Amino acid sequence: MAFFRYKSNLYPLIAIASALLIMVFGLVTARSIECSYFLLGALIWLIFFGCYKQVLRVLPAFIVFGGAFALIAYFSSGKNFATALAMLNRFGAVFLAIVPSMSIQAVAMTRNLSQLHTPRGITLGMLITMSFIPVLRAEIRRVREAMKTRGARSIFNPRIFYRAFLIPLVTRLVDISDTLALSIETRGFTLGKCKYTVYKKENINFMDALYLLGLIAGVVLAVVL
Amino acid sequence: MTPREKAINELVRLTTEELRGADMSAQEDAVQSKSKSKIFQKYMIKDIVFLAIITACTLVTGAIMPLLVNVPLFGIIQLGLGVQFSLFPVIGMMKVRKPFALLLQSMFISIFLVFMFPPMVLLIACAFVIEVLTLIIFRGYKSDWACVFAGTLYMPTTIPLLYMYYNVFYTVSGDEKAAVSMFIGGNNVGLIIGITIAVLAVCFVGSIIGMIIARELKKAGKLK
Repeated sequence: MAFFRYKSNLYPLIAIASALLIMVFGLVTARSIECSYFLLGALIWLIFFGCYKQVLRVLPAFIVFGGAFALIAYFSSGKNFATALAMLNRFGAVFLAIVPSMSIQAVAMTRNLSQLHTPRGITLGMLITMSFIPVLRAEIRRVREAMKTRGARSIFNPRIFYRAFLIPLVTRLVDISDTLALSIETRGFTLGKCKYTVYKKENINFMDALYLLGLIAGVVLAVVL
Repeated sequence: MTPREKAINELVRLTTEELRGADMSAQEDAVQSKSKSKIFQKYMIKDIVFLAIITACTLVTGAIMPLLVNVPLFGIIQLGLGVQFSLFPVIGMMKVRKPFALLLQSMFISIFLVFMFPPMVLLIACAFVIEVLTLIIFRGYKSDWACVFAGTLYMPTTIPLLYMYYNVFYTVSGDEKAAVSMFIGGNNVGLIIGITIAVLAVCFVGSIIGMIIARELKKAGKLK
């Protein structure tokens, strides 16, 4: 019955596949108006499947950058609307492809890859890379604050940037990596070939299938109509 | 047995134990140096963790990729990301001096590049080619210059992928042909060569900075 239960998060590999589908199709057919319809449909479809928060995060960036580049394309091509639309579609495809990827939780992705017997070193590395970004942001903020405290304000001066930002940041990262490695080892994680279990398995359910089928139907409709 | 004899016996016993201990530590050192002299070494958890963290740095600083992808100028991605994609991998390779460190970093980053710019996933193939080249020329990452060599070539090898990208996705037709082909510069061989040289120079500078940082950290006892 788990197959038919409602769930708000997408199956990680299906989310990746859908992101690829949106991006590749969007870039290939960027010059056509059908692409705009497809992207609009995909946007609604993503909101319907619980990605509205991610859509809200991506939308302002798309409006700013997509709009700016569409304007550049419009004027550089002698006020040609088709070129501007193509540029807007390309940006739309790229930004919309980011939405399903933002919905993937690092731990869900790792569980999914572990279920598929991906080497432990690779799943561990991907998990750390995915979940380390907020930590890295916080570390960058701390180093910047330390710079301000010491009176080194201009980050655009290469010497100050190197001595007061880059070196302390990398030093901090080395310290974090040592502590993290120790912490992982003490929790019994090994890279060798040993049996392991996945605490919570990621399974495909009808919502995932419906989501992917809907996108494929959108592609077919955009090509046929 | 007099106390003097007892003391002498104790001293002899301690000296023997000390000698045995020294022999054992020498043997351990020999085993370690033997494993270090091997080209292919086993990866430890701390290696994977550091490579993953340094990859996160590369990723965060390379987050401008989705924007650069849409700028129709040949080699703009490599020019924009050259420093980041050479500086951090070089630090990673100088800490984890084991073959396939670059390949592992590429694998960790590829999952994100799928969403930013799918052709860049072929970075894994580029990293593999560079690893093989480095192994043939330098026999591993023992030398700092091997790391610089790999870091310098990492991003420029993706330039041929761009050619594919422009030909597949940026195929222009009709009215926009003249404007966009002028804008891209993809048909101009001189421009392509110039951009490639510029990318190589940018990546070389990034690799050198990475090497300087890694050396400084090593001097401070941080990179063991």
